[in-house]
Amino acid sequence: MSNIPNIENISNQNTFKRLLLYTKPHLKKLSFAFAILLLATGADVLGPIIIKIFIDDYLTPRIFEWKPITLLATTYLTLLITSVTLNYFQLLTFNKTALWIIHQLRVDVFSKVQHLGLSFFDKSPGGSLVSRITNDTEAIKELYVSVLSTFVQNIVFLVGVLIAMLFLNPKLAGLFFLLLPVILLLMKIYRHLSSKIFHLTRKKLSELNSKLNESLQGMNIIQAMRQENRFKKEFGNINQQHYSSKLKQIKINGLLTRPAIDLVYMMALSLILSFFGIKSLNSTIEIGVVYAFINYLDRFFEPINMMMFRLSQFQQALVAAERVFGLLDEKDLAPSKEGEGRPTITEGLIEFRNVTFSYDGKTNVLKNISFTAKPGETVALVGHTGSGKSSIVNLLMRFYPIKYGEILIDGIPLQNFSNEELRQKIGLVLQDPFLFVGNIKENIRLHNKKITDQDVIEAAKFVQADSFIQRLPNNYEEAVYERGATFSSGQRQLISFARTMAIKPKILVLDEATASIDTETEELIQTTLKKMRTGRTTIAIAHRLSTIQDADLIIVLHKGKIVESGNHQELLAKKGLYHNMYILQQGITDSITS
Amino acid sequence: MSIFRDLMWFFKLERKSYLTGIFLLLVVALLNLLPPYIVGIIIDGIKNGELSFIKLLQWVLLILAIGILLYILRYFWRIMIFGASSRLGKLLRNRLFELFTKQSPSFYNQRRIGDLMAHSTNDIQAVESTAGEGVLTLIDSITMGSIVIITMASTISWKLTLIALLPMPVMAWLTNYYGTLIHDRFFKAQEAFSNLNDKVQENISGVRVIKAFGQEEAEKEEFRKQSIDTVKKNIAVAKVDSLFDPTITLIVGISFFLAIAFGSMYVIKEELTIGQLTTFTMYLGHLIWPMLAFGWLFNIVERGRASYDRIEALLNTSPDIIDRKDAIEEKPRGDILFDINSFNYPEKSNPTLNNIHFTLKRGQTLGIVGKTGSGKTTLLRLLLREFDLQDGDIKIGDYSIYDYKLYSLRSGIGYVPQDHFLFSATVAENIAFAKPNATLDEIISSAKVAAIHDDIMQFQDRYQTKVGERGVTLSGGQKQRISIARALLMEPEILILDDALSAVDAKTEEKILKALQHNRIGKTTIIATHRISAIQDADLIIVLDNGEIIEYGNHTELLALAGWYKDMYNRQQLESLVEQGGIFNE
Repeated sequence: MSNIPNIENISNQNTFKRLLLYTKPHLKKLSFAFAILLLATGADVLGPIIIKIFIDDYLTPRIFEWKPITLLATTYLTLLITSVTLNYFQLLTFNKTALWIIHQLRVDVFSKVQHLGLSFFDKSPGGSLVSRITNDTEAIKELYVSVLSTFVQNIVFLVGVLIAMLFLNPKLAGLFFLLLPVILLLMKIYRHLSSKIFHLTRKKLSELNSKLNESLQGMNIIQAMRQENRFKKEFGNINQQHYSSKLKQIKINGLLTRPAIDLVYMMALSLILSFFGIKSLNSTIEIGVVYAFINYLDRFFEPINMMMFRLSQFQQALVAAERVFGLLDEKDLAPSKEGEGRPTITEGLIEFRNVTFSYDGKTNVLKNISFTAKPGETVALVGHTGSGKSSIVNLLMRFYPIKYGEILIDGIPLQNFSNEELRQKIGLVLQDPFLFVGNIKENIRLHNKKITDQDVIEAAKFVQADSFIQRLPNNYEEAVYERGATFSSGQRQLISFARTMAIKPKILVLDEATASIDTETEELIQTTLKKMRTGRTTIAIAHRLSTIQDADLIIVLHKGKIVESGNHQELLAKKGLYHNMYILQQGITDSITS
Repeated sequence: MSIFRDLMWFFKLERKSYLTGIFLLLVVALLNLLPPYIVGIIIDGIKNGELSFIKLLQWVLLILAIGILLYILRYFWRIMIFGASSRLGKLLRNRLFELFTKQSPSFYNQRRIGDLMAHSTNDIQAVESTAGEGVLTLIDSITMGSIVIITMASTISWKLTLIALLPMPVMAWLTNYYGTLIHDRFFKAQEAFSNLNDKVQENISGVRVIKAFGQEEAEKEEFRKQSIDTVKKNIAVAKVDSLFDPTITLIVGISFFLAIAFGSMYVIKEELTIGQLTTFTMYLGHLIWPMLAFGWLFNIVERGRASYDRIEALLNTSPDIIDRKDAIEEKPRGDILFDINSFNYPEKSNPTLNNIHFTLKRGQTLGIVGKTGSGKTTLLRLLLREFDLQDGDIKIGDYSIYDYKLYSLRSGIGYVPQDHFLFSATVAENIAFAKPNATLDEIISSAKVAAIHDDIMQFQDRYQTKVGERGVTLSGGQKQRISIARALLMEPEILILDDALSAVDAKTEEKILKALQHNRIGKTTIIATHRISAIQDADLIIVLDNGEIIEYGNHTELLALAGWYKDMYNRQQLESLVEQGGIFNE
């Protein structure tokens, strides 16, 4: 347990440095804001001095010359308005800068995530990724706001007050400097003690929430097995522990924050009063100075309270920053182009040569796979769940790097192609047609500027989606909501077909393109698919064997191996696995068992 | 402010803490008045040269004493008030949890777990802060504010008080105005943030499409635009937000100015001493916090109100599955009689079950087969009283299941649900779930029957291996078998397996079924399944379709019917062959 905070502190420092680096592009603005802050603080700090002059030079001796008094009054008000205005601008600038820094950080993380490999997404739950990009960066915002605004401003203000005090009475100001170590020590102790208790409370809270979440999820089991009372007790225990640590937090806050600072204030007040009081016993004192000091004293402690208040938030933001930087440092990148030259795909000849593949480096999901798809041919992959069909597609799409064996397109290794070339020439249709929020046109075109409106319509016509789109109230501008919920699965799939056809690919990859479609629309989709396949090399994963009977080559996979291959007739004649699968799907079971 | 009236039950419950806390707060407010007063006296003393060393020492020591006293009092009111408000959080959390344990599945069907979690975290937090910070700001703004003002007016000068306070309403008005301004802008900023969140969510879910179409750069650009939009909306907020501090400084500065300007006139007229003037300005400083607290109070109360209403609405839902008045406490045993005319789920009009009438003899095994959605699970859930029948009855032995206490009824039934849910605890604790004091031997023997013992012995810490998020990752089949062992350990009169072997391979299934036959001699077992192999040895098999029994009998009888059952049987024989990569005429 004693080691943990240590490690955290080390990485905290690194994190803090990296966070500071983000301010670099804004240094100019920040220095400007800092300059304004200095001016504003100066104006602010001068106020009590003017009142001091008024008290000592005019009020106490009862000298009333209207001119200088009016001058003093105007100066006071002018300074007030100046400092207030300047303060507004520096506050705004600091806030704005913090927002822009967060923007940069967000864009950086998001960009990083775009270039991570699918293997990374496999092992990271989507929810936590989203939360890192948005919520964690939002928490870091607090850090910039608190560091840039609260800490910098308050420290500048403290320095300003101290300078003013030095000017008024160097000796007393010197005594004030003695207070600083006391306050710093207080802060250090508080930070030290509170961070432990703070962590404990957070831990208890998360235990409490996960217990609750788990209980809610398993409630039917808890009830069926009559464990309600036990869970109530267990939950009550964690609840009690959470309460105790919270109470500790309240106590620590009570002992070391505002009440303690107020006590220091009282001590400082006694110090000032004693100082002037004793001095007055044998010499005369300027009352104005006393007034000014007391006034400064009041202002001296407000920033300290503010900083104490921000300390815990600061801590929290650092933890969030650690998580964000962890993601920025992620090394699991998507495979990219290797080697020289800019090869292009012209024919669409696909060769798999002795490909062996594993996701986790332990169990091979593909074992020594070799096959060739000639230009314009259709190759179908069939097999049970887990037979390795999808892995072949994943490799061909270069979603994962190949370790053993080779994949060649037009005789050139897959890894030599640029990303753009691959994405333009290979069109993928997924089992679950994913639609983006926007409209139909945007979903077909995506962000590809080369595709004109005419191309979009042609693609839609080609896949026979045009007729249903024309019937929509806004045609191609019809809005698409989250995940395309307002469209049927068939319509969604047709839109995704159009999306694929709009890039006019050389190679077509169909990943169970008809699996999620109801039988009514299936016929339409089948004819469309046939049209799409003509003249293109096609790799099709098929769930329903009836959809790939006309394939030039059918590859039957089982547990990562090719167990049979040939065309439909040849495979049926073999009376092997394909034959049995076919019979099973046709529903003519009686013929074999009887 | 009605929230304080609604929380009165709690304030009464914590009478001592709140009364002490509020009393301490008042004492603090009063004691706080003293230092400025002393400062005034000392300054006047200095000015008039009347100050002696002894007097000075007395006054300074008094300030220090007040300081220490204040420190102690401030510490204690925090513990009193914030401690009590934390107890409110604890109390409400426990109450909600208790409520959750009493609700039937129909309650959970109507609500999302995420929402229930939100009520138990955010809403409780908001109510807690109403009972803590809310009470504090209420007391501070009202009492401290008025005490300071009264003191200023009565001990120094009511005229000067009036003058100095003139700008204060402007401050109240301005901050209120900013508040409404910021409200809209803040809403827009939140919306922009949530759009950004949606964008990321979509990006992550659509990662395959994005990669397949090479849309990474375009996505980055779009995200950048949305992020800029978020920044802009937030800047709009910051523009107003940054007004608060300067405005307060300005108004307070003017207040000070007025106090000094007019105060000096009174000093000249000898209506006031310089010391009193200093005291007066210090009091003015004491007024800033109550002013701010007042604004803050509304904020806290508004949030607390909404949250408390949600929590109360939840706490007022009464459970729909309850014991009858004269329910018996006996453990159910005997033949099970299903006498269901029709059943439909609440809020669904067409019946899920129709005319289910049959008897299962004690000690027999019942197999239920049928398509997904044919009513298998519904039938089992009725037996468990997760839902109650309106038209018909189910009897165990001589009594209707509605005559048993819920607690007794469930003591006789071991249930293995479809979605095998395990808790984050050790394997042993999961198996001993229904009987936490079971011995390791009992646990092991159940695990053996469920054919999971060998797997467990392979785990790093064997039976002490942690399951769940932070523990070992189990396969679906392993989870199923653990949940079977969990039900077996109860040695229940009736064992229900609801499609509980779906993720287990054929060999293991056979092993478990064999062991069960042996283990369950003389006790009733009900197996609902898609796989005919799991029930072909059952004494009685019913085939459900659309909520009705379409075929009825034992395996041989059903095969002879040459209906749905036989068709399914043949298909599955072939399917298992294909699954094994087998060839039929090998």
